[in-house]
Amino acid sequence: MPSLISKSNAEKAVGVVRDAGGEVVGKTRLQKMAYLLEITGLGAGFQFEYRHYGPYSEELADAIASAQFWDMASEDERVANWGGTYSVFKVASSDKSGEINPARKRLLSLAAAANPVSLELAATAAFLAHENWKDPWQETARRKPEKAEKYLEEAKLLYGKLRNVPTPDPLPKI
Amino acid sequence: MIYKRQRIRDPLHDLIEFPADYFHDAMWRVIQTSHFQRLRRIKQLGFTELVYPGATHSRFAHSLGVFHTARKLMDVVKRYLEKQSEWDATKAQHALAAALVHDLGHGPYSHAFEEVGKKLGLAMAKHEKVTEDLIRDSEVKEALAPLGSGFASDVANVIASPESARIYGAVVSSQFDADRLDYMQRDRLMTGTRHGAIDFEWLISNLEVGKVPMGSDEREVGEMETFVLGPKALHAAETYLLGLLQLYATVYFHKATRGAEKLFTELLARIVQMTLDGSAVRTGLGEDHPLVQFAQRPKDLTSTLALDDTVVAGALDMMSRSPDTTVSNLSTRLRDRKLFKCIDVRESLSRKLSAKGPSKPRATRKVKVAAPDAATLAGELLTSKMHWTDALNRTCDAVEKRILEFAEESNKEAPRVLLDKGERSIYKRIEESKGPLEQIMILPNAGSATPMDVATISQVVSAIAPFKFLRVYLDGSEEKAKLQIEGILDEEVQRCRL
Repeated sequence: MPSLISKSNAEKAVGVVRDAGGEVVGKTRLQKMAYLLEITGLGAGFQFEYRHYGPYSEELADAIASAQFWDMASEDERVANWGGTYSVFKVASSDKSGEINPARKRLLSLAAAANPVSLELAATAAFLAHENWKDPWQETARRKPEKAEKYLEEAKLLYGKLRNVPTPDPLPKI
Repeated sequence: MIYKRQRIRDPLHDLIEFPADYFHDAMWRVIQTSHFQRLRRIKQLGFTELVYPGATHSRFAHSLGVFHTARKLMDVVKRYLEKQSEWDATKAQHALAAALVHDLGHGPYSHAFEEVGKKLGLAMAKHEKVTEDLIRDSEVKEALAPLGSGFASDVANVIASPESARIYGAVVSSQFDADRLDYMQRDRLMTGTRHGAIDFEWLISNLEVGKVPMGSDEREVGEMETFVLGPKALHAAETYLLGLLQLYATVYFHKATRGAEKLFTELLARIVQMTLDGSAVRTGLGEDHPLVQFAQRPKDLTSTLALDDTVVAGALDMMSRSPDTTVSNLSTRLRDRKLFKCIDVRESLSRKLSAKGPSKPRATRKVKVAAPDAATLAGELLTSKMHWTDALNRTCDAVEKRILEFAEESNKEAPRVLLDKGERSIYKRIEESKGPLEQIMILPNAGSATPMDVATISQVVSAIAPFKFLRVYLDGSEEKAKLQIEGILDEEVQRCRL
């Protein structure tokens, strides 16, 4: 349930959407984008834990819901061809000017263009690396067998590109 | 080695048996650990007993019930996998053990403590993390050791990521997991409420394993096995979902329970803040009190596990004598059940908007009278209802924004105006992608291999709207605040009608 949350957290969540080009397709994508920003030193301080789709921040989920409450962003729910639904987040206005950190912009751009399943796997492997798993890719494959079977190699390629972005804290070498 | 059969009497399931075999012997050993015994001191429903005096049942009893229910669910899995010669008894044991220990990490007053953690950013207030840590490295791990050196780790893996255990994990986490099937029945029994009854035996008897599509956001990934219901369980599924929502409306989200939780959150936040500020001595608690120790070392597992309901309840009297007025006021209120007064904002707005609302839908019988045009009228009625709900939601948002400002002003010195908001739909909160794994899937007819969301074939389920609430809690002495809030409500209702 959306809890009562400060405007400042809503602004942080909207910041991710805005810096990703004003629109983010998918809750999973938004979560993984914010996670990658956090672990590379480009985030806003959201706390993440492991859930069904890999790293997940309840704080961020509340914040993006709160952003709609404060009319800073909109969420449009659409039906996917596999029978589920997914959300499209848009910032209410793009009038907030200011330079975006180039590394932040590049990471978000790569994540925005990625297949969401590969992004989920890549972010999960990064999370597990931070949790000190010896072989994060192997553990990712164990936890998400169906997804890994089809997309693990693509996820590794994506991870390589993400890791090439010069960030304050580099992504772990895995 | 000779194993001993063990039995426990349970108010819900009657006899819970632990047969004389190596697996159940290990489960029995887990139950004897101090961490499992600690669950006797954590109530399943926290402050709910302030409303329903019978609801003093513990997480200990619930955990045993979950294990018992998990074995029934696992029989369904076994029947399915044996047909395909894919049954793996060891994987089943990992999931059953996970069901038994799934609640080990709960803190005092369960979910209320998690709210404290959320407010203060305390990682150890999240019970899933503590549970996982305990299984991986504690006497629980030792109790599981006779089952194999990696057994504890495998159990922790099921807790951390149930989907990795495939259909075995559905016993621990799914729309028909053992946790929910136990708590719905147990909480109903112990509160004494007559809402929320489910047809448990019929549900289990009609449970099957089916394949449903899965995906991430817009992308399809493939199929995954999960529990689905047979076609004869349609009405039982309706009762199950309606019952869950009724329990949320009448028990879990009861306004007095939530009001007590709000006070508890504020009290613990104050204790932690004072301890961090070096004023622990003014809390009324000694330096070595578990609450103070936890405030000093919130990342420490031992400090976290030293907390339970009895520790907090026992501290209330000491805290009531604190020189800090916030601590003494909040603890006295919790001890003596002198809760803040509640204004149910959403309910009040709903009433006010209904009173003279221009677009509130009339009784459905009007549709029946106009039989020739029923479809059109039903469409209009639905549109009208949607407009009205939309108006209520918008008015609630407008009121909430103004009350948030008001609360910020009022709470500068002490918590006086507390806002509470929540909602629950028939399905769990959708964290990311929403799909069949998050729905109750049912086979529409005998022989069908394609399960469907029950909401698509049941008018009852499709009509169940989420239960939402927005409430304000006020210190009883704040008569002026009450008038101000009622003024805000009236103004926003007028604005909505313009």
